[in-house]
Amino acid sequence: MYVLHCSRQFVSQILSHNVLRGYTGVVRGACLISKARRSTTFLYRRYTCLASQQMHPHLSAFYNGIRRYYSDSPGKLLAQQDEYEMQSDSSQRNPQEDFNISVLVSLLRQENAADICVIKVPEDIKYTDYFIVVSGSSSRHLRAMALYAIKVKDGDPHANIEGKDAEDWMCIDFGRMVVHFMLPETREVYELEKLWTLRSLDEQLSSIPVETLPEDFIYGADVNVTK
Amino acid sequence: MALISRSCSGFLAQLSSLTHHKAFSVSTAAAAIQKMTRVRVVDNSPLGSTPWHRSPRVIHVYTKNGVGKVGDRVLLAIKGGKKKALIVGHKMPGERMNPRFDSNNVVLIEDNGNPTGTRIKVPLPTHLRKMEGDYSKLLAIASRFV
Repeated sequence: MYVLHCSRQFVSQILSHNVLRGYTGVVRGACLISKARRSTTFLYRRYTCLASQQMHPHLSAFYNGIRRYYSDSPGKLLAQQDEYEMQSDSSQRNPQEDFNISVLVSLLRQENAADICVIKVPEDIKYTDYFIVVSGSSSRHLRAMALYAIKVKDGDPHANIEGKDAEDWMCIDFGRMVVHFMLPETREVYELEKLWTLRSLDEQLSSIPVETLPEDFIYGADVNVTK
Repeated sequence: MALISRSCSGFLAQLSSLTHHKAFSVSTAAAAIQKMTRVRVVDNSPLGSTPWHRSPRVIHVYTKNGVGKVGDRVLLAIKGGKKKALIVGHKMPGERMNPRFDSNNVVLIEDNGNPTGTRIKVPLPTHLRKMEGDYSKLLAIASRFV
């Protein structure tokens, strides 16, 4: 399972720091996964499990980075089934939006979507509230899921399927939620969940070499030079 | 030769600013992106990152007039071949509350609209989201918004 693999790598990195020896019991318990559908909550739940414990000082900066991305209070351990109710501490959101995200996830489950990953995006990134990545078995499956999602939400005039002519990646922007339908191979290439959970700590981002300007660079000096 | 004239123009500009002491900054006029514009590829695709003796240039702009603004698709001549790309920022000032960039930024795109690279480090403008077109994929691989 893709999500499990990346979370396992992640957790093994943490464990290798020899800090969480006391918590390996918790983590091993979390590693037992039975079904594909429930793996969606795992990445999420493990992070919150870890974040809820007392932090050792040299990893605390790292955990604060993770904790920031979840607006729920760190002290709570969350139930497995309700991945989208996890952050409902701040009950400023009106029940209408929660209703829509739960409707969306339930219809994705109904359509046999594999690896549903719902990421709650923090408020500082003013893009969207929920970022959902979903896999499908074939491009026809993806297209069917996307069309069904649009059909259920046919009140929204702005929701259109982006990437209609791409076979492996389609997305729909519903305002508060953005759904990406990808094939598993495409998902492995882009690793959107990694980017949106570890915002600046993402490995693909950090492997981009830093661009430095040459010493003789003058801004605007190349405008009138003809080659 | 080009280098000497380049450094001269910069030096003269600095001299004039020292002597005249304007109370505001002055910059050259910048046009939007059109044919033969040199652009900067800002994603982490191998095609955009490897060096070449010529910088990537626009050879066609897919709009009604030949002028490309943010969100328009263009065709680039890059590393001896052609590639489609999408403009994500230009030096020309646009609407008042929209960001203006110091370089003409472009993200490489396949023919089906999928981005060629997997991450974009450079900030992307948020008004891309409101525009009609397939921009959610670029916003999904972006790391910063402006």
